[in-house]
Amino acid sequence: MRVEIRGLTKTFGHVRAVDDLSFTVEPGQVTGFLGPNGAGKTTTLRMALGLVAPDRGTTTFNGTPYAGLPDPMRRVGAVLETAFHPARSGRNHLRVYCRAAGLPVSRADEVLDQVGLGPAGRRRAGGYSMGMRQRLGLATALLGDPAVLVLDEPANGLDPEGIQWLRGFLRHLAHEQGRTVLVSSHLLAEVDQTADRVVIVAAGSLVREGSLEHLRSGADAEGGGTVLVRSPQSVRLAELLGGDGVAVEAAGADTLIVSGLTTAELGRLAFAEGVELHELRARTSGLEEVYFRLTAGQEQFAAAGPDEAAPSPSREVAS
Amino acid sequence: MTRLVQSEWTKLLTTRVWIGLLAGACLLGGGFAALLTAFAGDPSSGLPPVGTAAFAKLAFAVAANGTVLTLVLGVIGMTQEYRHRTATPTFLASPHRGRVVAAKLVAYALAAVPFAVIVCAVTVLVVVVYGGARGAVPSFSADNLAVLARAGLAMVVYAVIGVGLGALLRNQVGAIVGALVYLYVIEPIISNIPTTAGAYRWLPGGALQAMTATTAGPDVLGAGQGALLLLGYGLLAALLGTLLAVRRDVV
Repeated sequence: MRVEIRGLTKTFGHVRAVDDLSFTVEPGQVTGFLGPNGAGKTTTLRMALGLVAPDRGTTTFNGTPYAGLPDPMRRVGAVLETAFHPARSGRNHLRVYCRAAGLPVSRADEVLDQVGLGPAGRRRAGGYSMGMRQRLGLATALLGDPAVLVLDEPANGLDPEGIQWLRGFLRHLAHEQGRTVLVSSHLLAEVDQTADRVVIVAAGSLVREGSLEHLRSGADAEGGGTVLVRSPQSVRLAELLGGDGVAVEAAGADTLIVSGLTTAELGRLAFAEGVELHELRARTSGLEEVYFRLTAGQEQFAAAGPDEAAPSPSREVAS
Repeated sequence: MTRLVQSEWTKLLTTRVWIGLLAGACLLGGGFAALLTAFAGDPSSGLPPVGTAAFAKLAFAVAANGTVLTLVLGVIGMTQEYRHRTATPTFLASPHRGRVVAAKLVAYALAAVPFAVIVCAVTVLVVVVYGGARGAVPSFSADNLAVLARAGLAMVVYAVIGVGLGALLRNQVGAIVGALVYLYVIEPIISNIPTTAGAYRWLPGGALQAMTATTAGPDVLGAGQGALLLLGYGLLAALLGTLLAVRRDVV
């Protein structure tokens, strides 16, 4: 089932939370929906599922909006927040939604086992850990065996083992079972090993869409790559390197960061001039760096850097 | 729709709220019945003696005190979706929110029936046992049973009002406190001020009086009219709540 988001726009007060956002989510793939906190990811997902009314734009599942789907829980499963009635057991929580969707209540036990929550199913959900809540949310989404899964920050609160499990689980659902999986995150590392494609948003707008491979190659083509060179004669080397299209930046007593030259060109030059080198390597900017650059300065509540922070001795500065 | 009603019943029965409210309603009904029986025939209390038809009606009618608890039951049934943020999975399961509200109205009206039967039974039991010990068991004449039935019906209708009020206000504590302040502070004031007393019979408390009063009191409607008026208030609140509050964004 293909999910098509077209021109979604939503304004809260004076804040344009989502601005003319369009992208398509294909079946058989895990699509990562990336962006810093406050980029409009949650609002977008809530609009897609009919919980928030968009000012403009549409979302369709194989051509039908969510509200028009017959038996929506059997078509689309969503994990949007980990909220349950604290006094109700996880199993009973699931049974409530089995009844609402017309599913046999035995599905509750099946999905509990599927997410590894079986033994805890009869305990009150109020006593669950964050990771268990995430699993119960996922179990709720899986009740109707849906063709589309939408997950909003599902890794929040999961321990490393849980994250590992989730990655494998989502890949299995998409690659082996051909489901459509859309998973949002503010951390690239979280979807790096899971997603086939990424949709990156910042300040409510699309900034990049494509496969992770494409994004990686695009990163270097944009000239993000630099060369790190370490030499005891770094000052002399810097003078030699200075020229058209080459930028040299000192990074410590004996280290230079050079852009505009390949390692081969730099090595040849140093050899010809008899400059002793201790290290020479290419610094390809990683995906994380690309993501950071694409979304830089778009945080809705950006924290001041350590140098810009008010000079108060006890102040803690977010990095 | 049947699925959604069943889903609401599962929600209701998988937390213990209903047990507390039922116990509270039984305590109110049974407690007032015991109090009335204790002072029945006492000249200083002005209560008719046990064994008279007037006493039986008066004692059976106290079951209607359970209305405040079925009101709270309905309010909690609706507002818990917002308080515990389960509105999200609920509206994902049923994107047509009007259907969710309608299912809650039906589910809570039907759930209030056994609730009301139990409260009435406890009240009757107290009157029969205690009254019997004091000399006379009340007769189960058609008149007396009609008083009991109206008290039970009032409890059912108040559950509907609770759901409607919850849909309109969405805030659980606000809806409960607001309802109690209205019923126990504002309406008594309205009914006691001569210029506004005429409006009292059209208000929820006045309509409840019409359903359950056994003695000639202030000028109120007939019992059937009162029940319809109360039901109308509940459905109007639910309709307005659906249009104005429940359809708002769930963020």
